[in-house]
Amino acid sequence: MDINKEVRRILDEVLSLNGRSVAFTSDTPLLGAIPELDSMAVVTLITTLEEQLGLVVDDDDIDGATFATFGSLTDFVSGKLNS
Amino acid sequence: MPASPEAFFLPATTAAGGQRFCLYHPAQGASRRGSVLYIHPFAEEMNKARRMAALQSRTLAQAGFAVLQIDLHGCGDSSGDFGDATWHGWIEDVLQGCHWLRERHGKEGSQANVPLWLWGLRSGCLLAADAARQLGEPCNFLFWQPPAAGKPLLQQFLRLKVAGDLIGGQAKGVMQALRQQLADGAAVEIAGYLMAPGLASGLEQSILVPPTLMAQAQRVEWFELTTREDASLSPVSTQTMGQWQQAGFQASSHIVQGPAFWQTTEIEDAPALIAATTAAVSSD
Repeated sequence: MDINKEVRRILDEVLSLNGRSVAFTSDTPLLGAIPELDSMAVVTLITTLEEQLGLVVDDDDIDGATFATFGSLTDFVSGKLNS
Repeated sequence: MPASPEAFFLPATTAAGGQRFCLYHPAQGASRRGSVLYIHPFAEEMNKARRMAALQSRTLAQAGFAVLQIDLHGCGDSSGDFGDATWHGWIEDVLQGCHWLRERHGKEGSQANVPLWLWGLRSGCLLAADAARQLGEPCNFLFWQPPAAGKPLLQQFLRLKVAGDLIGGQAKGVMQALRQQLADGAAVEIAGYLMAPGLASGLEQSILVPPTLMAQAQRVEWFELTTREDASLSPVSTQTMGQWQQAGFQASSHIVQGPAFWQTTEIEDAPALIAATTAAVSSD
């Protein structure tokens, strides 16, 4: 699975970004920088990652650092999938 | 040209009392092909899904189905606060909606024995199955993105609070505190919704198991939306649908391209879902 591509697609879908996620690099800030990423969107994002990529997120994993940048989010997803 | 729906308040005959806001879309054309009750999803998902529910209701009415949309107790324009709502009360609302459709059907003098469809979206599917166990007459099921159980939906809802606190900077231990509060019999406030323990426990315990078959050829039309091109039914859905088939239901699954409109940030349409749903329900 191309994790980078999958996370990009899911972000675009959940946040209705209309393709803006194509320009995301690992340094692109997410939480606090993208207005669409409110609390409901964070939960939807977690759920969609769980459902579509088959990973399990513990409640203690839900941490601001995870959603800080596109890179931190893809790192989190790879870590979960490889664990 | 679609006829406009009738909006009215239905006095609740249930213990919760008050009135329920309803939208009724009469069937168009000479003969009614069926009655459909729409059962909305939970909390914010209900609001996000309003447009798609209205579009589908109108399309079904044009195809000859009578559709009733009911706002459950404490939701939308119905009486009560969300914090008053319980799972059991919502099941009673669904049953009353079914009875209303049956009575209305009699008054309109249409031919007897058209099928009753319970159309649920997300947690609405769980309510449909729970209500059907008490309905006392056969019905078909139209499921949009059905969850196998209510437990993950509750967890998802509680996570809204965790995510809200995350944006505020502190999220550790929030989930545990919420669960403790519910276990102690207290309501919890999440994303502006006050949730009573009686709603949380009902949702958490609900599972999408088939009711006892009451007639031959009771149907389940099972729809899932995806934005992936090579998507298939998820393993858990395949397993759950298998249980319905084993119970004797004629179950068909449909994977349709479209956004998860009940949770997307913008209000989005899934026209392929509307077309596929109308086709599935209209087929004999």
